[in-house]
Amino acid sequence: MSEMELVSKLSGIVGETNVLHDPDRLSAFAVDGVVPRAVVSPGSVEEVAKLMAFATAEKLGIIPRGNGTKMGAGGIPRKLDVVLSMLRINRITEHDVPNLSLSVQTGLTLAEVQKKLAATGKGSFLPLDPPYTDKATIGGIIATNGSGPRRYLYNTARDLLLGIKAVLPSGDIVAFGGRTVKNVSGYDMTKLLVGSWGALGVITEITTKLLPLPEASATLLTSFDDLAKAVALTRKVLHSVLLPSAMELLDGKAAARIGEQGRYLVAFSLEGVVEAVERQLGEIGEMATREGAVATKTLKADDDRTFWVGIRDFALAADSAVILRANFPIAKLAELLALYEKAAQAAGIECAFIGHAGNGILHCYSADAAKTGAFAELIGQFTAEAAKREGNLVVEAAPRSLKEKVSVWGQPRSDTVVARRLKEKIDPAGVLTPGRFVGGI
Amino acid sequence: MDKETMIAELVKMVGRDNVLSSAMYFKLYEYDASLNRSQPDCIVLTESTEQVAQVVKFAHANRIPLIARGTGTNLSGGSVAVQGGISLVLTKMNKILDLDIENQRVVVQPGIITLDLKNELAKHGYLYQPDPASEKVTTIGGNFGENAGGPHCLKYGVTSNHVLGAEVVLDNGEVIRVGGKALDNPGFDLLGILGASEGTLGIVTEATLRIVPKAEAIKTMLCIFDSIEDGGNTVTAIIGEGMIPATLEMMDNLTIKAVEEAYHVGFPLDAAAILIVELDGLKDGMDRLTERILAICRQHKVREIRVAKDQAERDKIWAGRKGAFGAVGRLRPNYLVNDGTVPRTRLPETLAKVVEIGKKYRLPIANVFHAGDGNLHPLILFDERDKDELARVHAAATEIMEVCAAMGGTISGEHGIGLEKMHGMAMVFSEKDMAAMRQVKAAFDPLNLLNPGKVLPESEKAA
Ligand SMILES: Cc1cc2nc3c(=O)[nH]c(=O)nc-3n(C[C@H](O)[C@H](O)[C@H](O)COP(=O)(O)OP(=O)(O)OC[C@H]3O[C@@H](n4cnc5c(N)ncnc54)[C@H](O)[C@@H]3O)c2cc1C
Repeated sequence: MSEMELVSKLSGIVGETNVLHDPDRLSAFAVDGVVPRAVVSPGSVEEVAKLMAFATAEKLGIIPRGNGTKMGAGGIPRKLDVVLSMLRINRITEHDVPNLSLSVQTGLTLAEVQKKLAATGKGSFLPLDPPYTDKATIGGIIATNGSGPRRYLYNTARDLLLGIKAVLPSGDIVAFGGRTVKNVSGYDMTKLLVGSWGALGVITEITTKLLPLPEASATLLTSFDDLAKAVALTRKVLHSVLLPSAMELLDGKAAARIGEQGRYLVAFSLEGVVEAVERQLGEIGEMATREGAVATKTLKADDDRTFWVGIRDFALAADSAVILRANFPIAKLAELLALYEKAAQAAGIECAFIGHAGNGILHCYSADAAKTGAFAELIGQFTAEAAKREGNLVVEAAPRSLKEKVSVWGQPRSDTVVARRLKEKIDPAGVLTPGRFVGGI
Repeated sequence: MDKETMIAELVKMVGRDNVLSSAMYFKLYEYDASLNRSQPDCIVLTESTEQVAQVVKFAHANRIPLIARGTGTNLSGGSVAVQGGISLVLTKMNKILDLDIENQRVVVQPGIITLDLKNELAKHGYLYQPDPASEKVTTIGGNFGENAGGPHCLKYGVTSNHVLGAEVVLDNGEVIRVGGKALDNPGFDLLGILGASEGTLGIVTEATLRIVPKAEAIKTMLCIFDSIEDGGNTVTAIIGEGMIPATLEMMDNLTIKAVEEAYHVGFPLDAAAILIVELDGLKDGMDRLTERILAICRQHKVREIRVAKDQAERDKIWAGRKGAFGAVGRLRPNYLVNDGTVPRTRLPETLAKVVEIGKKYRLPIANVFHAGDGNLHPLILFDERDKDELARVHAAATEIMEVCAAMGGTISGEHGIGLEKMHGMAMVFSEKDMAAMRQVKAAFDPLNLLNPGKVLPESEKAA
C-alpha cells in the first residue's frame, strides 16, 4: 500500500487531524531507529477496533504507545507501519467510591488518576508506583507490568486488576474480569494481558482495586559502609512481623545521585496507622544501629514524598541510556550485587544499582552506552549469574547498537513454546509489536 | 482403543496398584462436590512428574480425555469425567519438595492437602495465606485449578496471588516451567491464565508458593445483628471508612441455627445475622481500629459484640464459620451452593433478591458469604429424589446468577464454572469474549483432551 493510500485509509478511520505523517515529525516516534509510516490517535475504542481490523487485513506492523517512556525496551521491531497513540482514550469511566474500585481508560497518566482519587471522598489511591511518575500512562504501565518500590507491600498490577478491556488484532472488542474483587468466571484473561507488552491486544480500559489513603507515612534512611551489613538489615526486617511498604537498597553511586550519603543506603517506606508508622521508625532504626549502620535519618511530609519520586524516576535524573533489571530469589541479593559491582568495575563501566530488597529485583543504571562491546559482555555476565540462581535479566533500555549484541529478554525459558502458540492463535497475522517481545514474538 | 488395552498400557507406566478400574472405584470417582456425575473409563494415580508426562503423552497419542483430580471437593463439576477418559488423580504426589524460608517460598507437589502444608509452615512461624473453608480436605493443585478463595482473601487475595511458579505438563506430555521462585519472569503471564483454568490447559505437577511470617497480632470479633440489612450495611460502612480488615464474613439465621446445632460454638439461635470481623497485622493501633469498627457496628444497631479473648475463642468462631456448609448440609439430603459475586456495596440488595427467589421457588436457602468480597454463597437445600424440586433448584440457581450479573457482578467468585455454571457464561461474557478464551484453550490444548466439556460453552456457531 502506498503512503498516500495508507494515510487516506487511516484518516478515514480517525479523521485527518489525528493522523501524523510528516516525515520530520515521525522520527520522534521511531522505535530502535525504525521510523513508522504514520502515527494515529484514535478517539474511541471503536476507532481502535477499526484500526486493528484494518491492520490485520493489510498485515501492517502496529505498536501501541502511551507517552513513550518504555519504547526503548524490547527487541528491535521486525516491522513498524503505524504507531497507535492511546493518549486520546483517557476517560475515567467509573469511580465506585464505596466499593473502592475504579475503571479508567488507558491513555490517562497514573499521576492524573492519583490526583483525582486523592481528592475524592475520604481519598484513595491505586497502589502502583512505577517509574516516570508524571508521564507513564495507565496503558503503558499495565502492558509492561510496571511496578516500583511499594510493590513490597502492595504487590503488582496482576494482583490489583479486577478487569480489563482490550481490542484484539481481529478488531474484536473484548472485556474480561469485572468489578468484583473475586472472579473465577472463565479464564483469567486479565492476567494474560497484564505484562503482555502489547503483543496480544491493545488494552483500552482497566478496572482496579483501590486502597484507602494511609493515615500516616514516613521514611527511614539507614546508611552502611558495608554491603553485607546493609543486606543483613533487610533480611531481619523481611523475616520479622514488621510491614514496611518498601525496602530499597541503593549503592553509593545511586545514593549520591539523589543527594544521599553512604556506601550503601537502605530506605524503608512506612505507611499505615500512626502508631504502626512510629513504632516501625523506632524499631527498624534500632535494628539498623545493631547491624552497624553509620547513620540513620527520618523523612516526613514533602521530604518523604520527594525521596520516593527520586527513586522511581532515577533513570531520568541519571540520564541512563542503559537500564537493566535482574530478577532472582530474594536471598540472592547480596551475592549478586557484589558480583555485579565487581564485574562492572572490571569492565570499566560505571553503573548505579537500586534494588527492591524484599522482592529480589535489582536495577542497574548506566550512561556508558558507548562502550558497546564491553557492555554487551557485561550484560551477558549479569544474565548468566542471575540465571544460575533461578533468575533472569531484562534489558529495559539500551541503544540499538547494544541491543543488537545481547538478548534483551535474558535467557530463554521453557514456557516460550506456549507463548508462541498463543501469539499464533490470537495474532495470526503478526501485526502487534512484531519482534519486540520474548522469543522474538 | 479398547478399555483392556488402555488399562494394560497404563499399568506399565504407573504399576498395577495405581490403576483403578473396578465398578466400585468408578462409583467413587464419578462425582465431586457438585450435583454432576459421570464415570471415567479408568482411574490413574501418579507418583511423579515423569509418570504424569507419560500418561498425558499416551492419552494424547490415543485421543483419550484426561481429567486432573485433586480430592474432588470442587463445587462446580470440575473433576467429573463428562466425556469419560482417564481420571488422573494427583493425591499421591503430596510432598513438600523445598521449604525455602530464606526466600519465602515453598515448593510442593500438587496433591498436598492445604492444611497439612499450613501446619508444617506454622512450625516455622510461617503462613501460606489462602484459606478455603475446605482446606482440611483440598489439595493445592485443586485450589490453583479453581483459584480458590476463603475468608482471608479480602485482604490477602486468592490462590492465584500466592502461586508464583509451576511445573506444568502440557497436552502432549511436554514439561515446562512457568514463573518460579523469582518474581517477574519475562514472558506472558502463563501462570496467571493457568490459575482457575480447571485442568483444561495443563496439568500442574509442582507449585511454588509465596509464604509470609505470621502476623504479630490478630483480633477477632463476632458481631450479632437482628437484621441482615444492618449486617450488610455495616460491611459497606467499614470499607467506606477506609478500613480493610483481614476478613468480613457473614451468615444468616438458617446457617447460624444449623451451625449451632452441629458444633455448639455459642451462636445465638435467634440472631438474624452474624458478622465475623478479623483484623491482623501490627499490634500498634489495633485497639483503636477495633474501637472504630465497634462504633460502626453500634451505629448499625448491632445487638451484641463478642471480641475473642484468646486463640481458643477465636478457633471456636472459625470452627463455626468453616463448618457452615457441612452443618447446613445436614438439614436436607442435598444442597447446591451458589457462588455469585457482586460489587460489595450491592450486597444487601442482592441478598433481598435471593430471599425472593427462595420464596418464588419454594426452596429453603441458607446464606453464608464472604461479605467483604461481595461473594455470596446461597445454599439451596433440597432432596434430589424429588424431580420437581430438583428442577426448581436449577431454575433458582440460574436466576441467582442472573441477579448477580445484573448487579454488575459475576456468576462465580471462587468455585469455578465447571459444568454447573457453563450456561451462565453468556450472562457475563459476549460471544467475542468467549471466542478469545477458546483461542487460549486451542493454543494450550488443540485436540481438546484436557478436561473437555468444561468452562467454555460450545460457540453459538458450533451449537
Ligand atoms: C464444604 C466445602 C467448603 C468449601 N469451601 C470453599 C471455600 O471457602 N473457598 C473456595 O474457594 N472453595 C471452597 N470449596 C470448594 C473446593 O474445596 C475448592 O474448589 C478446592 O480448591 C478444590 O480442590 P480439590 O483438591 O478438591 O480439587 P478437585 O475438585 O479435584 O479439582 C478442582 C479442579 O482443578 C483441576 N485440578 C486439580 N488438580 C489439578 C492439577 N494438579 N493440575 C491441573 N488441574 C488440576 C480439576 O481438573 C478440577 O477442574 C469448598 C468445598 C466444600 C465441599
